[in-house]
Amino acid sequence: MKLKKKFSAWLLMIPALLALYFAIWRPQIMGIVWSFFKMNGYNAEEFVGLQNYKEVMADTEFVKILLNTVKYVIWSLIIGFIPPVIIAVILNEMVHLKGFFKTVLYLPVMLPGIVVMLLWYYIYYPDASGLFNIILGHFGIEPQMWLSNANLTIPLIVISMTWKSMGASMLLYYSALQSINGELYEAAILDGAGILKRIRYVTLPQISGVLLLSLVNQIITVFQVMEQPMTMTGGGPNGASISLGYQLYQYAFVSGRIGHALALGGIMFVFLAIATAFYFYLNHKIEQNVD
Amino acid sequence: MSMKKGISVTLACIMSVMLLNGCGDKGGTESVNGSTEITSGSTESENEGGQAVNEGTEATGEGAEATTGIVTISVGNWPSTEGASLDTRESQKKAFEEKYSEIKIEPDTWAFDLKTYYPKAAAGLLPTTYTCPFTESGKIIRSGYARTMTKALQEVGYDKLLNEKLMDIISKDGEIYYMPESCYALGIGYNVSIFEQAGLMNEDGTPKVPATWEDLLEMAKIIKEKTGKAGFAIPTSNNSGGWLFTPIAWSYGVDFMEQDENGKWKATFDTEECVKALQFVRDLKWENDVFPSNILIDNAEYQKLFATGQLGMIITGASITQPVSTYEMDPNDVGLFAMPAGPERRVSLLGGKIYTVSSGSTDEQVDAAVKWYEYVGVSPYISDAVASAQQQEIDTALAEGRAVGVEKMQIWNEDSEVVQNYNRLVEENANVNINHFKSYNESLTDPSLEVQVEEPVCAQDLYGILDNCLQEVLNNENADCAALIKNAAEQFQTNFLDVYAEGN
Repeated sequence: MKLKKKFSAWLLMIPALLALYFAIWRPQIMGIVWSFFKMNGYNAEEFVGLQNYKEVMADTEFVKILLNTVKYVIWSLIIGFIPPVIIAVILNEMVHLKGFFKTVLYLPVMLPGIVVMLLWYYIYYPDASGLFNIILGHFGIEPQMWLSNANLTIPLIVISMTWKSMGASMLLYYSALQSINGELYEAAILDGAGILKRIRYVTLPQISGVLLLSLVNQIITVFQVMEQPMTMTGGGPNGASISLGYQLYQYAFVSGRIGHALALGGIMFVFLAIATAFYFYLNHKIEQNVD
Repeated sequence: MSMKKGISVTLACIMSVMLLNGCGDKGGTESVNGSTEITSGSTESENEGGQAVNEGTEATGEGAEATTGIVTISVGNWPSTEGASLDTRESQKKAFEEKYSEIKIEPDTWAFDLKTYYPKAAAGLLPTTYTCPFTESGKIIRSGYARTMTKALQEVGYDKLLNEKLMDIISKDGEIYYMPESCYALGIGYNVSIFEQAGLMNEDGTPKVPATWEDLLEMAKIIKEKTGKAGFAIPTSNNSGGWLFTPIAWSYGVDFMEQDENGKWKATFDTEECVKALQFVRDLKWENDVFPSNILIDNAEYQKLFATGQLGMIITGASITQPVSTYEMDPNDVGLFAMPAGPERRVSLLGGKIYTVSSGSTDEQVDAAVKWYEYVGVSPYISDAVASAQQQEIDTALAEGRAVGVEKMQIWNEDSEVVQNYNRLVEENANVNINHFKSYNESLTDPSLEVQVEEPVCAQDLYGILDNCLQEVLNNENADCAALIKNAAEQFQTNFLDVYAEGN
């Protein structure tokens, strides 16, 4: 009877498993396998071992691009991680207009990605027609280069990414805050805790699980950044905003170096697999604590 | 319970079948035209040059019907939207199929794009014939997806009449792999209104033409001074900057690469000449202030700046007529003059498109493709079909609001009657003051202007590296041009020439 039940379950899972196999597992596995081959377009010609990996890592720009990618992650944690938490806490404390602010803050999430990128591209436009430069112009300040400034380009791109995704993170934190038992706050107040102490000793420990998961999730997502530098700067100026994801795109779809694209994908996969394993480990720990 | 189980099994089976059906290989055995009996046209004996046939390209070779004698070819670059271009192509198809009842044309709207090219090629879904840019010729031959056309072109005598400058692009090891579709030489596009405001137009409607890059810079300064608009720029991203920087560098005496006796390619542009060429671009912004504020410009943005009246002069070819319709620019506001000379040479870049026949195609399909080219106007011999195609091309340009007045660079070796006929049609049907293009049109046959094809290997990669140099000198006033060029040459050698010794 148990075997029959299992059989039915597996039978129903077959379509989903096939879909996963064709759409996710097979491409990923073939991608890794082919990264060890000399590729002619999408035909594997000859096994070359680690040659593609060596060539990708020997590229004179590889270290610079890897560091750029790390910069994206670090700036996204500085600019994009804390603000949604603060806004969620403020929203949680608000009595009036809570729904209004939740909606307004969530609106950018609903915009198509390309619209957001172009919107910010024109906000940062380096002549007097750019929105930021118009504002600066009112104060008699000369137009700035914004995205064309190599020192600012990554943080500015991260600001646009944060603006787009902050609403979703904020809602996640907000829902976590809502689930905190109000009695904990009452007890803290009775013990004489002020707002900062309540946040330090009640709020943060209660939402630490969600925060930790979001942190790892954000690192994984931002590590793969590609569309923003492609659309807003073309990787410039002088390669200052090119990321590993964009370099992979360049290998595959601009230069037609499929072997190198697959090898770089393999390198990114290793980084992300470690981060993902850590993510699942944390998730498991958190679930255990909840239980 | 048994009913539940029955439903489960049925559902699982249906979904699995649907999924597998969706993932099935449609390129292997299915006919492109739904015919019932189809020969596989990919046997080696049917291939002229012994070019290896890739497993994924078989579908394109299935158009020759053994039973009915119908040859089917799928033709890429078919216009996908309603309008004059589609109407023209459909009427050409109709006339062609009436003349050649044994050939059937299958329209395919796919146009060459490296993003989709390799997946389509691997799946055997490339059209029988399609066009691609000159720069991709080496890649396609090396991939084995191009079929030789030597025999077919020899039979109609085209091989003897092709422009010799194009032979290195279209052939390899004595075999011709491509048929040139069109070519262009770069010149300088200018905005007539801005030129008028700056006092740079002559009374007869011709512009003041700069003889050298220094003269062009002086004109750009006048534009900036008198109109407040940027005088001149080159794009800097998506490889467009490098592409347009190469003819400037050539005119300063730069050779970007050379092949040694062992066949290895060496980057040779770490030179004083290349530094000076880069310095010229740097000075556009920092010494003369004629460059637009935005320095991260791709080709689309570049053309937009020009077509919307924010930029006086750009480097461009005959395609300058395209942004006119895209941005609804007055066609009379567009002009084009010949490339200025540098300290060493007066040279323009020769680019263009070539027809490719996919590697699995049969001899009959190659012959059919060559016949089809005549119906879209690509033939050295004037015929009713060619004359009609040329007239249709002009009519389409007029209907789409593009400027008609720019003559064509020749793909043929001599002053063929086809080119003369086309130029006559341009003159007769011009919707602009033809004097706006006089300097450029005359330069096409001017022996003092050299035309040079794009760099032979890794051209797009070189353009990407040069883009970075341009961005740096336009972004950083104190950028060291010599150090940038040195680094660029080393980068090009290490990352590309040493790795991709053969392919490009």
